Amino acid sequence: MRNRNIILLSLLVVIAMALTACPAQPGAAPVAPTQPPAQEVVPTEAPAEEVTPTEAPAEEAAPAEVALTIWADDTRAPILEELGKQFEAQYGIPVVVTEKGFGNIRDDLKVAGPAGEGPDIIIGAHDWLGELVENGLLAEIELGDAADQFLPAAVQAFIYDGKLYGMPYATENVAFVYNPEIVEQVPATWSELTKLAAELESAGVVKQAYIRQEGDPYHFFPIQTAFGGYVFGLTEQGYDPTDVGIDSPGSIAAATWLDQMYKAGHLKAGSAVDYDIMHAAFENGDAAMLITGPWALPRIRESGVPYAVTTIPGEVQPAQPFLGVQGFMINAFSKNPLLAQTFLQEFVATEEAMQAIFDADPRPSAFLPVREKITDPDLAAFAAAGENGLAMPAIPEMSAVWSAWGDAIVLISQQREAPDVAFKNAAAQIRAAIAGN
Amino acid sequence: MNSAVHVEAGGVKAPPRRSISSPLALLLRLAILALLDAGAIWLIYNLLRDGAYALAIVIGVVTLLLNGIYLRSELYPLQWVGPSLALLGIFVLYPIFSTIYTAFTNYGDGHLLTKQVAIRQLEREMYLPEGAPLFEWTAYVSPQGDYLLWLESPETGEKFIARPGQPVEPAEGEPPSQIDGYRQLSRAERLRHTQNLVALEFGQPPQVFRVSERQIGRAAEYEQRYTYDSAQDVMIDNATGKIYRPVRGTFTADDGSTLRPGFRVVIGLDNFRRLVTNPALRGPFISVFLWTVVFAAASVFITFALGLFLAIMFDVPEMPMRKLLRSLLLIPYAIPAFISVPIWVGLLNPQYGVVSNLIANIFGSAPSWFSDPFWAKIGILLIQLWLGFPYMFVISTGALQALPSDVYEAAEIDGASPIQAFWNITLPLLMITMGPLLVASFAFNFNNFVVIELFNKGGPPMSGTISPVGHTDILVTYTYRVAFASGRGADLGYAAAITVAIFLILVVITYFQFRYTHMLEERSENV
Repeated sequence: MRNRNIILLSLLVVIAMALTACPAQPGAAPVAPTQPPAQEVVPTEAPAEEVTPTEAPAEEAAPAEVALTIWADDTRAPILEELGKQFEAQYGIPVVVTEKGFGNIRDDLKVAGPAGEGPDIIIGAHDWLGELVENGLLAEIELGDAADQFLPAAVQAFIYDGKLYGMPYATENVAFVYNPEIVEQVPATWSELTKLAAELESAGVVKQAYIRQEGDPYHFFPIQTAFGGYVFGLTEQGYDPTDVGIDSPGSIAAATWLDQMYKAGHLKAGSAVDYDIMHAAFENGDAAMLITGPWALPRIRESGVPYAVTTIPGEVQPAQPFLGVQGFMINAFSKNPLLAQTFLQEFVATEEAMQAIFDADPRPSAFLPVREKITDPDLAAFAAAGENGLAMPAIPEMSAVWSAWGDAIVLISQQREAPDVAFKNAAAQIRAAIAGN
Repeated sequence: MNSAVHVEAGGVKAPPRRSISSPLALLLRLAILALLDAGAIWLIYNLLRDGAYALAIVIGVVTLLLNGIYLRSELYPLQWVGPSLALLGIFVLYPIFSTIYTAFTNYGDGHLLTKQVAIRQLEREMYLPEGAPLFEWTAYVSPQGDYLLWLESPETGEKFIARPGQPVEPAEGEPPSQIDGYRQLSRAERLRHTQNLVALEFGQPPQVFRVSERQIGRAAEYEQRYTYDSAQDVMIDNATGKIYRPVRGTFTADDGSTLRPGFRVVIGLDNFRRLVTNPALRGPFISVFLWTVVFAAASVFITFALGLFLAIMFDVPEMPMRKLLRSLLLIPYAIPAFISVPIWVGLLNPQYGVVSNLIANIFGSAPSWFSDPFWAKIGILLIQLWLGFPYMFVISTGALQALPSDVYEAAEIDGASPIQAFWNITLPLLMITMGPLLVASFAFNFNNFVVIELFNKGGPPMSGTISPVGHTDILVTYTYRVAFASGRGADLGYAAAITVAIFLILVVITYFQFRYTHMLEERSENV
């Protein structure tokens, strides 16, 4: 009886093996067969290299199957596929583009990268750097001949610990959006804005002159920098996590300004305004000024409300919004980083490719020849507002900042704590978290 | 096999087989098992390749057990629970043990890789010693697939021919189309060979050239930056001679400088030590814990009270439109919290919300649901009530049907009022069935992350605390903040330790609750 069971079991194993026979062959990737380079040597080279290979390359020990894989989101994927076809035509190497949700790319790379199943190239945002580089998932990158055609601030954003990890293609930042039928003269400073709010509201022109999301630190940062505040001190090596600027005099001045806005009733204490409420108020004319990003343009346009985009008011210095930069990065576990570098330098860092990326998803390009040709006045205004923007810190310490900083702004917005107390405590919380509890 | 032998010895006179009766049934069973095994082998193969050894072992063991269950007639009774046991093992027990294990490691951002992979990545790093020139390369390939490089320095004009493992020879002129039977690779072709070229070392020590992995068409005397000495378990920096030793998953030098990436290691009780010594725990922890208990208990109580009240109301047959109203009452339960909570957030908005405006019109002013700690707590409980009462209503309705009517008749004869009957008969009898459900509901709400996060993310913030925390934060949302706002990215080991701690707290609470419901049951027997 025991024998019979063993026979049965081994039979099962054999059947099972037969059923799973396919994946036993390694590297059964769905790759188009590598045909030998279709056209022999497109003579793009200097005539000095007049060397036509004497033999057909096919007879040599062919190099292992070569393919370039890219993870991109649905907007960028079709463009990269198109570039991939050109790349294959020129070099005979197929480019496989996998479409993924933008946010999933980072998480999936963390799993697939170390397992050796990641792509060669990903697209992503610069503030992923801290996480990805700390985990050893990104390879250094070179911009090649086109290096000086990239927006310096965008390149700077992809530098982590003095090394470059990404080729930027687009930037985004918030700007000042106002209703020109209500606001005739754009305030140059936030103090002027307070005065203007008082005039407009007492004259009954508008319910609430300026509206903002309660507690949102991202949209508060330009105000904070206008008053001379900062989040992390900036050194040549990047942001310095030991220099927390939430309780710097400038930051507290900005917090005090916000507090005054609530005290004077220009902002409604405890009104729990969120992103949608803020935009609805602007779009139906209840509010006349706000800080928002290019992602809100479609809904503002659709609403038909008169609007204009301009740079954010300064105070003691020009306002500096956070700059978010998107770009291409190379997987540290890529089996062929040089191939990926070549694709990026020769096929992506070109005006045509960058223009195609811009056309598919209009946000200010990080490639200067394309950026300078932006014809949409609103986008150009957003680009101008981000001219002196500061790259959002990508260091992991930033994760300790958001909630403490946001809580402090909420406490002021709800008029439950004095501005200096709130910001000083937030800074203490951030320092404690960074120090490792 | 030991156990099999044992069973064999004990049960020589096995009862006649009942299960494998017809050959067709046997074949069918074998076919299904074969399919299952095929799936398992495929999974295990992939898991092993990805380095997920623990999960591969678990799936392997479960599959073997399943095979045993369906092949051995002595295990016949287990056949009925086999599938659920297997799923329990894979989807419940394995994650629990995996979480407990993770709590003792430093797994998280910065320590994602295994040591082996981290060493491999570090050893891949190259550097160019100071003053070493860059060369432009042209590659040649032999019919056998061997390579050589023609190197030319753009600055000095020096030219070399370099072959793997042979001394570098000086060269002159332009790169020829052939060198000793090696054919020049065209620019278009050479990209297909880069993977091989990058892996080779051209020349012989002391002069070894490598093709740059980053700069197109460049080669130089790159040197390996780090070498791992497995005998001493140290990483040596070849450029500076510095020695890095592994400390808690990071190669660390004596001067405190570290290498990236780190790797995951078991760090013992450190995560728990950090949890206990965390000042964030000494600060607002007590008030967060108390609110968690109040939140969970109040949620259960109010939903049960309303649900039971409605159930009794609709238990009266004279109620008009009973069936329709009963169905309508289920609607809040049918709408996912992900939809209804944000709607409530909008309704309660102090400036624009319908509910707030309505209250303001009646009473003159509306409570500040989002900025006043007290009203925020009331608000979240109201939402809990809305989300939770239909469930209690359904369960109570079912339980009420099961109550024996003779007891009520007896009570009526004894002259008990309906109120007395409710307190002395209905409630105690209901508790027999409802007690465990209420305990489960309490445990669920104790960890009800979703509602808090959707409503106000734990706000409004407490002022002057040592770490960011809100007045409606419950333990699980608070610890989530602590673990993921640590300034070090996601610290999964620490988060797992917190999870284990919350689990232990819940075990204690649940134990006492079950004892209490057990008491209720005993009392109900005396009714």
